[in-house]
Amino acid sequence: MAVQDVAAAAELSTPPPRPGRWRRLGRSETATGWLLVSPGAILIGIFGLLPVLMALKLSFQKSDLLTPDTPWVGTKNYRQLADDPRFAEAIQHTIVYTALFVPGTMLVGLLVASALNRSVRFISVYRTAAYITMAVSTISEGIIFLWLTDKDYGLVNATLNAVGISSQPFLASTSQALFVIVVMTIWGWTGFAVIVYLAALQGVPAELHEAAAIDGARPFTRFRTITLPLLSPASLFLLVWLTINALQLFDEVYLTTRGGPLHATTVIVYYLWDQAFVQFNAGYAAAMAYVLFLASVVLTAVQFRLARKYVHYS
Amino acid sequence: MAEVEFRGVSRRFGDVQALHGLDLVVADGEFLILVGPSGCGKSTALRLLAGLDKPTSGEILIAGRPVTGLGPGERDIAMVFQNYALYPHMSVFQNLAYGLRQRRTPRAEVHRRVRETAVLLDIDELLDRKPGQLSGGQRQRVAMGRALVRRPQAFLLDEPLSNLDAKLRTQVRGDLKRLHREVPVTSIYVTHDQVEAMTLGDRICVMSDGEVQQIGSTDDIYNRPANTFVAGFMGSPPMNLVPGEVRGGTIRVAGAALTDFASPDRPVTVGFRPEDLRISGSSQAGAVPARIDFCEPLGSHVLVHALVDSGDPGAEETVTHVIAQAPPGTTYDSGSRVGLGVARGKTFVFDAETGQAAPPTARDRVTTA
Amino acid sequence: MTAAELTTSVEPHPASRRWRLPFSPWHLVLVPLTFLLVVPLLWMVVTSLETQGEANRFPPVLLPHDPRIANYADAWHTAPFGTFFLNSTLVALAVVVSNLVVCSLAGYAFARVRFLGSTALFMTLMATLMVPFQVTMIPVFLIVKWFGDNVSTYLGIDHLGALMLPNLATAFGIFFLRQFFQTVPVELEEAARVDGTSRVGVLFKIVLPLSMPAMSTLAALTILTSWNDFLWPLIVITNTDQMTVPLGLSYFQGAHQTNWPLLMAGNVMSLVPMLVVFVVAQRYFVQSVAGTGLKG
Repeated sequence: MAVQDVAAAAELSTPPPRPGRWRRLGRSETATGWLLVSPGAILIGIFGLLPVLMALKLSFQKSDLLTPDTPWVGTKNYRQLADDPRFAEAIQHTIVYTALFVPGTMLVGLLVASALNRSVRFISVYRTAAYITMAVSTISEGIIFLWLTDKDYGLVNATLNAVGISSQPFLASTSQALFVIVVMTIWGWTGFAVIVYLAALQGVPAELHEAAAIDGARPFTRFRTITLPLLSPASLFLLVWLTINALQLFDEVYLTTRGGPLHATTVIVYYLWDQAFVQFNAGYAAAMAYVLFLASVVLTAVQFRLARKYVHYS
Repeated sequence: MAEVEFRGVSRRFGDVQALHGLDLVVADGEFLILVGPSGCGKSTALRLLAGLDKPTSGEILIAGRPVTGLGPGERDIAMVFQNYALYPHMSVFQNLAYGLRQRRTPRAEVHRRVRETAVLLDIDELLDRKPGQLSGGQRQRVAMGRALVRRPQAFLLDEPLSNLDAKLRTQVRGDLKRLHREVPVTSIYVTHDQVEAMTLGDRICVMSDGEVQQIGSTDDIYNRPANTFVAGFMGSPPMNLVPGEVRGGTIRVAGAALTDFASPDRPVTVGFRPEDLRISGSSQAGAVPARIDFCEPLGSHVLVHALVDSGDPGAEETVTHVIAQAPPGTTYDSGSRVGLGVARGKTFVFDAETGQAAPPTARDRVTTA
Repeated sequence: MTAAELTTSVEPHPASRRWRLPFSPWHLVLVPLTFLLVVPLLWMVVTSLETQGEANRFPPVLLPHDPRIANYADAWHTAPFGTFFLNSTLVALAVVVSNLVVCSLAGYAFARVRFLGSTALFMTLMATLMVPFQVTMIPVFLIVKWFGDNVSTYLGIDHLGALMLPNLATAFGIFFLRQFFQTVPVELEEAARVDGTSRVGVLFKIVLPLSMPAMSTLAALTILTSWNDFLWPLIVITNTDQMTVPLGLSYFQGAHQTNWPLLMAGNVMSLVPMLVVFVVAQRYFVQSVAGTGLKG
């Protein structure tokens, strides 16, 4: 997960300081302030803000990144996107992926975190083992799963055979490849989800469970009526963060299938990258990137809207 | 409402014995207080009763039925937690209704009972608010309401006043007493505060180190303490306990003969309460000689701190710190020598080794005052 | 969710007549669960010690007959892993140091220095966090190319400078440190000012020494992100000499697709540094992730 993609953090942070707060520190120190801020502001300005504008401009042009000749084509790129069957396919794949990956990771994370939310001996070892997938790079993850799901020698097929199921092609199959990537990435993100949910679970006072038990609630009811609602802020955070990352899926697809077989795993960012750096259609890719950006913003806004009804802050 | 009984209940955590064979019967409708310092086992006992924990041995009965196999939700008890444990994401109404809903109580009945309880506790205006929007005192009442609304057989309270400020605590103490008069549910109340214990309880069970020290009414506990622990724990300022001896049928402290006591010669611990002491000149017969340390004026009375020599001459010097309660306006110079006389019949004698109260045989010889 | 949840944190030893396990029953759940989570990594290590013959066996060999550590030496020699590690280290070092310096200056300014336009600037910088990398990657490519052509080749395409430049300061770093600096009691700074410390001196002498946990957390997160970054190096670097570990590994995989033991050996080597960093700095990772999740 690229640091720049930490969009959620800004949304969910405390609001900016109000002027009244500053009075304590006395008179305005504009020169000092700007001096201190300038290295960061300049760097982010050049590599963060300027590119946003450049990309917008680029999306209205035709460019191959190499030659300086970039004619203006207006909204042609966007219109082309709307008619592009490959893009439509990529959108579909991305949606399917996101719809499986996000709930999947949240569920696995919650189950594992629930199991880890107790103090038995060696619990810190169990927890470290659960967190550790966070440190595994997407490439390493891809290579491991390529091997695990190898259709001839993979461990997964060996296990399936042992219980009577025939070997599956997995990543070599147009129908199965995307699902293998779902499982692979869920594994990779489990550590992160576990950390978030475990912290949230530990924030629920044991007394609340005791009170609910005394009130006559059975274990599952307690989980549904007490634990889950109190976990909702963490769930919202994961929902937003995981969705944003799901929409940006690339590394694992590149490593394992290069978008195949037969474009079965081509997701939006893969198609984008291919268009920009292999087909040299930078303008087209920039337009695609903006569409992705817009979709992310809308989706996040929708999620926050839903949050108002379902998320309880205590 | 029902009788609650502990029969030989013990609880061990690894090497620590938190509760040693507790035997206790709480009568139907009684308000019993479990009091003692932290670690004495009172909260453990409460949690065992609630079903939040399993005893290592022994049995617990509610209304004559053993409840050992039952979970907390099946024992028909309700509990008020020290930190209230209100469901933060639910409104006050929902908090109160939760227990009833879990028991499939019909909707109309739920509404009725919740309203009733809310009015009783004066929180009916707050039913739509969430716990986060309430003050400490209001939350405390909601916690009580949640327990009461279920009309349980037993009402368990775990230091419910300790998170309130002093003024509110006094007020709520009064509310609790009134409440129990109106709704006499069998109640077991845990606290470390001996003032709460003495004012609230029908009976008090003083505990220490997992064992019962004494069970009795406020009067019993205060005036007939069973051992030095109870004597020293209850009462503020606590009872003065000084080393002494029985010699020739008389109790002696720091050389002064206080009162007759029929017993062979032996070392004892002598107790007297601050309010039972009269300060006089050091040469007064039958008065314990002491040196003034300092005085604390409190408006309504003065606490005089003094030091009593209570060791054998030649042996390592033992000085015991003693507090006497004196009328307002009393002052003494630090270091001045005085005599402390004990009011008639107010000398308590305890075995020096075991701390147990010696049989109350001798209260005869009048001392000063 | 069960009775176990309700008992005190120390597991009880009741004297009931039922037969009791010498350990908590939860271990029976936790062991298989964590095993399942870790098995991909374990399998990777097992394979890395096999011969190609053993690996191409079906059903697979669960424990290699004679662990072949030579695979690691082979992998090291087949691809320039040494170069990959060096490159990743240099880039990570530059990025971490730069971030810590630049973001603390800026973070402090936003937290404590009152200057005209600070709110507007802060909001603008934070807005960049909302933009996905894919939007900016193409223009950044062009910008970096410009740097390479007009400032110094080392900053341009196919050089490590290109990997460092865009990441020398992140809005996240500024946000993170600003949040932290705001929790440092103002009184400490004011006392130092009264004693004559300069405006900026307060940052270095008072605030930074107290901010070691936050700095360590940011450093840990930045190292991990920088080291594991793949897409940007993929775009910018084609020369094997300039590749970082993930990129190098993907090329390695492309070249030796069927030599699984060799591949796994390379993979293990690539993973070890970050696993070590993670285990050592686990506390910081957990705190930072948990903190953002809880506040949100």
